[in-house]
Amino acid sequence: MKHKTLLLVVTLLMSPAFGWAAGGGNEAGGLPQLDLTTWPTQLFWLIVTFAIMYLLMSVMVTPRIRSVLEDRQQRITNDLEKARDADSKVTEMRLSYEASLEAARSEAAEKARDALNEAKLTAEKAEAEMATKLNRKIKTAEKKMMKMRDDAMVNIDEVAAEITALTVSHLTNLKPTKAAVSKSVKIAMAARANQEAS
Amino acid sequence: MHSPVEQFTIKVLFALNLFGYDVSFTNSSLFMVLTVLASVVFLALAIRPAALIPGRMQGLAEMLYEFVADMVRSNVGNEGRPYFPVIFTLFMFVLFSNLLGLIPYSYTTTSQIVVTFAMALTIFLGVTLIALVKHGFHFFSFFVPSGAPKALIPFLVIIEVISYFVRPVSLSVRLFANMLAGHTMLKVFAGLAVMIASAGGVAAAGSVLPLIAIIGLTGLEVLVAVLQAYVFTILTCMYLNDALHLH
Repeated sequence: MKHKTLLLVVTLLMSPAFGWAAGGGNEAGGLPQLDLTTWPTQLFWLIVTFAIMYLLMSVMVTPRIRSVLEDRQQRITNDLEKARDADSKVTEMRLSYEASLEAARSEAAEKARDALNEAKLTAEKAEAEMATKLNRKIKTAEKKMMKMRDDAMVNIDEVAAEITALTVSHLTNLKPTKAAVSKSVKIAMAARANQEAS
Repeated sequence: MHSPVEQFTIKVLFALNLFGYDVSFTNSSLFMVLTVLASVVFLALAIRPAALIPGRMQGLAEMLYEFVADMVRSNVGNEGRPYFPVIFTLFMFVLFSNLLGLIPYSYTTTSQIVVTFAMALTIFLGVTLIALVKHGFHFFSFFVPSGAPKALIPFLVIIEVISYFVRPVSLSVRLFANMLAGHTMLKVFAGLAVMIASAGGVAAAGSVLPLIAIIGLTGLEVLVAVLQAYVFTILTCMYLNDALHLH
C-alpha cells in the first residue's frame, strides 16, 4: 500500500498546480475529510447506524446463522453417531453369529465323535461277544472232535483186533484168543506209530 | 476539471440540528444507512431458507459468519465468544462500506478519517477498559516485556507505551488512507481519460489506455476493500486478545 500512499501524496501536492484545488471548495487544503464542520454529523450517524446494525446483527442475524450452523452440526453428529451405532451393532451381530456358528460346529464335531465312539464301542462289544461265542463253539467242537477221535481210536483197536482175528482164522484156521490178538495188534500199532513218528 | 478528492465532499441531503450540533443527513449518512440495510437484509434473506444443504446465498452468509468466527476463535480463543457479535458487525460494516463505495456515484464512508478514527478509538478504549476490568493493576505489566535486560526496561516501556497508544491511529489511518488513495487514483485516471477524450480527433482514442487502467484498478480496489475490512477486523481481534490474555 506504500506506493499508493506515495502516489496520493504526489497527487495532492500537484493538485493546486493543475488547478484542481478550486474544486475542493474547503479550507483544509483540498481534503474534504479535514473539514471539521462535517465531523459531528458523521460521528452522530456513525453511532446511530452502527448501533442499529449491532442490534440487528446480535439479536436477529447472527443467532439465526448460528442456529442453522448448529443444527447442521447436530445433524452431522447425530448421523455419525447413528452410523457408529449401526456399525457396532453389525460387528456385534457378526461376532455373535460367528460365536454361534463356532458353537454349532464344535457341538456337531462332538456329537460326531460321540457317535463314532459309541459305534466303535458297540462294534467292539459285538466283536468280543462274537469272539467268545465262536471260541466257545470252537472249543465244544474241538472237544467233540477229540471225544470222537478217542472213541474212534478205542474202536479202531477193537476193529483191528477183530479183523486180525478173522484174518488169522481164515488164513490159518487157528482160533487165537481175543487177548492175544489185541495184544499183538497193540504192539504192531505202537510200532507203526513209532515208524510214522520217526 | 474537478479535483480528484472532490468525491469525498460531504453533501447535506437534509439539514438536521440536535442540541446545537449540526447532525444533518448527508451523503455519508445515507451510505451508512445503506451499509446497514444492505448487510442486514442480505444476511437475513440469505439465511432465510435455513437449509441443511445451503444454496449459494446461504453458503455465502455462512461463509462470512464462519470467517469471522474462525478469526475470533483463532486470535482470541474461547473468551472472545461474547465479543463475536460486535466484531462481526464491525467486519460487515467496514466490508460493506468499502464495497458499496466502489459502485460509481456512491460514497465511501470509510474514506473519512473521522469515521475510521472514531471506530478505532472506540475499539482502543473498549479493549483497554476490558483489560483493566479483567486484570486490574496487573494490566500495566503489559508494557514491560518479559525477559528483557533490566537496563533496557525503561526504554522498552516507553516504546511499548507509545506503540500501544499509536494503535488507534495506525488502525484508523490504514483503512482511511487505503480508501482515500484507491478512490483518488481511480478519479485521477478517470479525469485523465476525460481530458484525453476532450482533445478530440485521433488523439481521443488514447483515452482507452486510462480506461483500461481503471478496469485493472477497480479489480485491485475490490481486493483492497475486502482486505482492509479483514485487516481492520483481525487487528481488533489481536488487540482484544492482548487485553484478555496480556502476553
